[in-house]
Amino acid sequence: MSHIHIPDGVLPIWLWVLGFIVTIFVGIILFRFIKKEDLTKRLPILGMMAAVMVLGASVEIVPIAYHVNLTVISGILLGPTLIFLATLIVNILLAFLGHGGITVIGLNTLTLSIEGILGFFFFRFLWKWLKRLTPAVFLATFLALSSSTLSMIGIVGLGTSHYEELIHQEGKGMIGFSLLKEKNSHPEENRAEDKVNLRKFMAILLPLGFIGWVLEGVITVLIAQYIYRLRPDLLRLERQTL
Amino acid sequence: MIQLSYLDYLAVEGKSWLHRTSPKLKMIGVAFVLLGVITLRSPSELLLLYVILLTLFFISRVPLRIFPLTFYPLIFAFLFIFISGFRIPFIMLIFLKVLCGSTGAVLLLATTPYPSIFCVLEKIFPSLFVTALFLTYRSIFILLSILEETQQTLYLRGGLQWRHPWRSLINISNAFGHLIIKGIDASEKMYESMVLRGFKNRIHYRGE
Repeated sequence: MSHIHIPDGVLPIWLWVLGFIVTIFVGIILFRFIKKEDLTKRLPILGMMAAVMVLGASVEIVPIAYHVNLTVISGILLGPTLIFLATLIVNILLAFLGHGGITVIGLNTLTLSIEGILGFFFFRFLWKWLKRLTPAVFLATFLALSSSTLSMIGIVGLGTSHYEELIHQEGKGMIGFSLLKEKNSHPEENRAEDKVNLRKFMAILLPLGFIGWVLEGVITVLIAQYIYRLRPDLLRLERQTL
Repeated sequence: MIQLSYLDYLAVEGKSWLHRTSPKLKMIGVAFVLLGVITLRSPSELLLLYVILLTLFFISRVPLRIFPLTFYPLIFAFLFIFISGFRIPFIMLIFLKVLCGSTGAVLLLATTPYPSIFCVLEKIFPSLFVTALFLTYRSIFILLSILEETQQTLYLRGGLQWRHPWRSLINISNAFGHLIIKGIDASEKMYESMVLRGFKNRIHYRGE
């Protein structure tokens, strides 16, 4: 859910450039903690999990415009460092398939990796505490998804003034010709109406998001149970109850 | 997602002038489209860019079957209708930005074989990152073939039915679980064969 489906040219340049800078910075820090041999050995599994995430993103639940990310289960299987690289790759491929713009890749990587990394740590913590797979996976997924959705809303919120500028600048192009702008189409008294309605955006997004978090939580639990039955070694846990 | 293999087929088998154009040039072209999408703020200018891209689309003889792919990102642009408070010119601006970006990306993918794209990327980005990107791209096709096999099993177990949401949810989750396990098995085999063939942290692309 935390994937930002904002097209190119909508977010302010400083925001998406900052997204790329932070992504590179976080990537460098994370990759200092992993041995190169381990990374090379785990590249195929990283590729496979990233591909699973891309496939998951293509399963659209149309009525609520939601698609599963499978980031949490991928985070649990890959660990915090590899999930970061996996989310970067997933976002590059998704950007070319129309899920969010190419310029938004950095910000999308940050929000989606928050989901994967938090999912991994929440799961480890809850597993140690509860010793039961179902509630540990469900709560980890729910909490990770809600955290990343809130961070996504924060990012969208940072660009509010830029959207307003875009609304007001309609028709004023770089080259300077216009087909659509009407004379006095925006008198001062209408200015207030032009404000970006972020509250309305949140009012739409959060209830749909809640349905999505529960749905993805249930799907992740069922996937984890399936993996636990057939390949428990992948979850790297001592055997406990479902 | 199934269309990805068709895009791949078109990129390899296509014979138009755009297919023959250097991949580097096409990627620079996409970068310019992106620059236009970022900087242009008038619907009329974006409309002009979109018309240019549409012209390229049709003269490069890319089949119409994949044209609807360019509309797919519009699904996600609908939220902007609510953000803007139903301002038609702003919505048009956003929709045109989306269409320009998606048409540019589809044009690149439909006219450039992926080894050629990776060949260019390798010169810009770290080899480890490009290798991971390449393996992911390959894995999508491996997973799609596993998915084809799984679909039959899914159908026999009741498939996806709105009247039985819980059963559908279990079926779809088991299908994903099956995909993950099969995919990981396949990735382990793939790594072993790559090592046998002399893989050392880097894949070399011939760009053909």
